[in-house]
Amino acid sequence: MSEYLLEVNSLSKKFPIKGGILGREVGAVNAVNNVSFKIKRGETLGLVGESGCGKTTLGRSLLRLLEPTNGEVIFNGQNIIDLNSNDMREMRRKMQIIFQDPYASLNPRMTIGGILSEPMDIHKLFTGKEERKKRMYQLLDQVQLPKDTLNKYPHEFSGGQRQRICIARALAVEPEFIVCDEPVSALDVSVQAQVVNLLMDLQKDLGLTYLFIAHDLKVVEYISSRVAVMYLGNMIEVAESSELYGGARHPYTKALFSAIPKPIPGKHVGRILLEGDIPSPMNPPTGCHFHPRCWNASDECKKTYPGITAETATHEYKCHNPITL
Amino acid sequence: MAEKILEVKDLVVEFKTDRGSITAVKGVNFEVFKGKTLGIVGESGSGKSVTALSIMRLIPSPPGRVAGGKILYRGENVLDIPLDDMRTIRGNKIAMIFQEPMTSLNPVFTVGNQIEEVFELHQKDLDKHQRHEKAIEMLKLVGIPSPEKRVLEYPHQLSGGMRQRVMIAMSLACEPDILIADEPTTALDVTIQAQILELMKKLQDEMGMGIIMITHDLGVVAETCDDVAVMYCGQIVERADVKTLFEHPRHPYTKGLIESIPSFDSTKGGVRGRLPTIDGMVPSLFDLPKGCNFQNRCKYVTEKCRGPHGDPQLESLGSTNQQVRCFHPLS
Repeated sequence: MSEYLLEVNSLSKKFPIKGGILGREVGAVNAVNNVSFKIKRGETLGLVGESGCGKTTLGRSLLRLLEPTNGEVIFNGQNIIDLNSNDMREMRRKMQIIFQDPYASLNPRMTIGGILSEPMDIHKLFTGKEERKKRMYQLLDQVQLPKDTLNKYPHEFSGGQRQRICIARALAVEPEFIVCDEPVSALDVSVQAQVVNLLMDLQKDLGLTYLFIAHDLKVVEYISSRVAVMYLGNMIEVAESSELYGGARHPYTKALFSAIPKPIPGKHVGRILLEGDIPSPMNPPTGCHFHPRCWNASDECKKTYPGITAETATHEYKCHNPITL
Repeated sequence: MAEKILEVKDLVVEFKTDRGSITAVKGVNFEVFKGKTLGIVGESGSGKSVTALSIMRLIPSPPGRVAGGKILYRGENVLDIPLDDMRTIRGNKIAMIFQEPMTSLNPVFTVGNQIEEVFELHQKDLDKHQRHEKAIEMLKLVGIPSPEKRVLEYPHQLSGGMRQRVMIAMSLACEPDILIADEPTTALDVTIQAQILELMKKLQDEMGMGIIMITHDLGVVAETCDDVAVMYCGQIVERADVKTLFEHPRHPYTKGLIESIPSFDSTKGGVRGRLPTIDGMVPSLFDLPKGCNFQNRCKYVTEKCRGPHGDPQLESLGSTNQQVRCFHPLS
């Protein structure tokens, strides 16, 4: 068995733009552009970036909830892009996803028992009546909800509790890999910490592997062993999370970290204020996509997209003029 | 001491619902000073936005109602002003920016039209041409590139950060005394958030308005505010200047909130402990406990907190400006 649970090779996802009266394709958005990375068993890879950078598209492409345009997703040694829909359904038992909005991702007309049963029905797991009940109690116990939850409806729960239910539903089929797509961004600060702790505990107990997508760098840094940064569909830097803060080589990563308001009053030195907005992914700048906002940009940056530079075995970035440490 | 421009005294706001009446804001007191920023922090449902809306007299009535208290703007009670006259204050002397820059701009008018409207309402001596010039000037002030072109564009042509800049331009058009910012950067990305906060600070230095910054992000509070009020279940539970609040929080809720934010330094050693949390959840406003509202989540709860001898009051601690609503303030 390989050390890596998931291996992604040059994955791309293009969304066509249709226009004109004939509805012809007039352009394309490269939401995810030639992204490659690996996730070890039992590891959490954090994925950060601003809105529109393609992090959610990437997460969904891994599960083929969106069909990738190009590239390979190798899960447990098998390229899942080649699987037909029956085999893929089988495979999804091992890969689950938790969504951002716990208010929108639970069917309001189903009881929690029904919600938790559905994935097990689909995958024909725990089919005996007693066995099923035992399993559901076990799940509720794992996410720290009381037993009487089963007969209630989603509206009876708060945001944090709903997110626990979503987590229990993802765990129902005993997955190995979970894509957590902004699982705590919709929650209040005090509840956010509870859910982060729960996810970390479950990982330890069940040996789960996570792809943790979020725009909150503090949470990502906390929960992940490695962090990948995306900008306009490209993965621009990957490093150990302890290395990335303070040791970022890509100017964008550095600016992103410096922009986070710190809960310590007083003047903040070293804040890098980026100018302008994120360019439209329909019409990205030539060369390095970040050059119009970068203070280190040279002529080279306007012409060619930088290749991967491997600083160490775990730290890679794409930049012509990296920050010197 | 800076000039006091707004004083909120014992504000009570109630809402009638099918399940009975709830008190969303219960006896809130605070002051806003010229050139200073007051932060109001709290989680969803703590009453921070309702407080802001009542200052603007924008509480939908029914079902809402300001049931008590005073809102003194330069000594005059805003709540006594007839609604028609309120317009001379709202948007002119007290302005507000909202969380969602997309939904707070009108999609069928150009950005220029919407800024000009402010001048049309509040500065009637300007003619059409002057208004247009002033709109361009405002866009320039908030750092929008090529304002002559942008002034003719519609909101959908602008990005989220640009739209929030337009909102700020609109709200500052009449050089208000007070700017109420209700989660102004929550919908924005961090790099854009940093730009907007910087802009607000710069404009405050230039124009000297008092700002009420409503947010749930303690990072934003630490960076922008001079004084802070922490709200929980419709009440202020702790008030202090920003430095004191972050260095010596005295209410267990404030302390819990500050601790539950992951910081980069805490992970430096590579070994990651669990995040400190506040157990449980905010009680429903329909079903508040007797005594302290925070009792079911508090680590230091005692019999006294359950309210046999009344509720905790917001009290000053010694000679400091720090006030805490707790029977057992932390030392």
